[in-house]
Amino acid sequence: MKTFKLENEPKIKSGFKTPENYFDDFSEKVLQQLNEKEVKVIPFYKRRKIISLAAAAVIGFALLIPIVNNYKANSNELDEATLENYLSYHSNISQYDLIQTLDDSDIEKLGNDVTLEDETLEDILVASPNIEHLISEQN
Amino acid sequence: MIDEKEFIKQLLSPETQNTAFQKLLSDYQRPLYSHIRNIVLNHDDADDVLQNTFVKVFQNLKNFKGESKLFSWMYRIATNEALTFLSQKAKLSGISSEDLQNKTIDNLKADLYFDGDEIQIKLQKAIVTLPEKQQLVFKMKYFEELKYEEIADILGTSVGALKASYHHAVKKIELYVTSN
Repeated sequence: MKTFKLENEPKIKSGFKTPENYFDDFSEKVLQQLNEKEVKVIPFYKRRKIISLAAAAVIGFALLIPIVNNYKANSNELDEATLENYLSYHSNISQYDLIQTLDDSDIEKLGNDVTLEDETLEDILVASPNIEHLISEQN
Repeated sequence: MIDEKEFIKQLLSPETQNTAFQKLLSDYQRPLYSHIRNIVLNHDDADDVLQNTFVKVFQNLKNFKGESKLFSWMYRIATNEALTFLSQKAKLSGISSEDLQNKTIDNLKADLYFDGDEIQIKLQKAIVTLPEKQQLVFKMKYFEELKYEEIADILGTSVGALKASYHHAVKKIELYVTSN
């Protein structure tokens, strides 16, 4: 078999051709592509990032809903109890201050809610050591 | 011809950028096309890769430090683009890069933009059997007739290593053509 020697052979060309006038409008094609790329404000990978961030935020909020609900419920109960305790034991508001804030409709309502029989009322008045003081204050 | 530093300045300045880039395109489109076509073999692929190469060149001009020549820098981008394109295409087809190139060579006979004969196809088949670096060196030296110094600058290797690489490539090709 004849040994093939590259240097003994005539130069072998690659044989690759281009379509006719291929290079005539090539520059234009590239410049057009560059303009298109400049118009794109948000590349796709960035948009994908925004979408995933938004999805993460939605999931985060969804996970927070039960926690917030519980917190709200707890805080409502706490509010009433704390307020009552505070008013009863820790505040400087005396019963006189409270009475001052009542208007006629409140007193009427109290009269309806707290129905005291005459006998009970009498017992309280008798048992109370400073009844005179109370009566004088009424007047 | 204007000084390369001056030309790079024109490429970076907004007022002169368009004209300078058009000149860059017209000066380099043919040699870079040949370089890319020798790697990817098919015209349509070469067209895609060449466009991408110029887009990358334009986008990265501001990062060009001038440490190497503009010529070498652009050839380097073109080589990387072409090799990346080949490996992505092979991956998409689910075959190795060598199988993909063999398939492309088999299709060359029917390619409108190839007018080679049997020996040219045999030479291409022989080249595919070489390691990637030797393929590049052989194509750049034999087909594109670049100087060793230019190839060394593009591929970032020494002239001595390139000469050895080319010598090995030629030996293997001769052996392949003789035995096939």
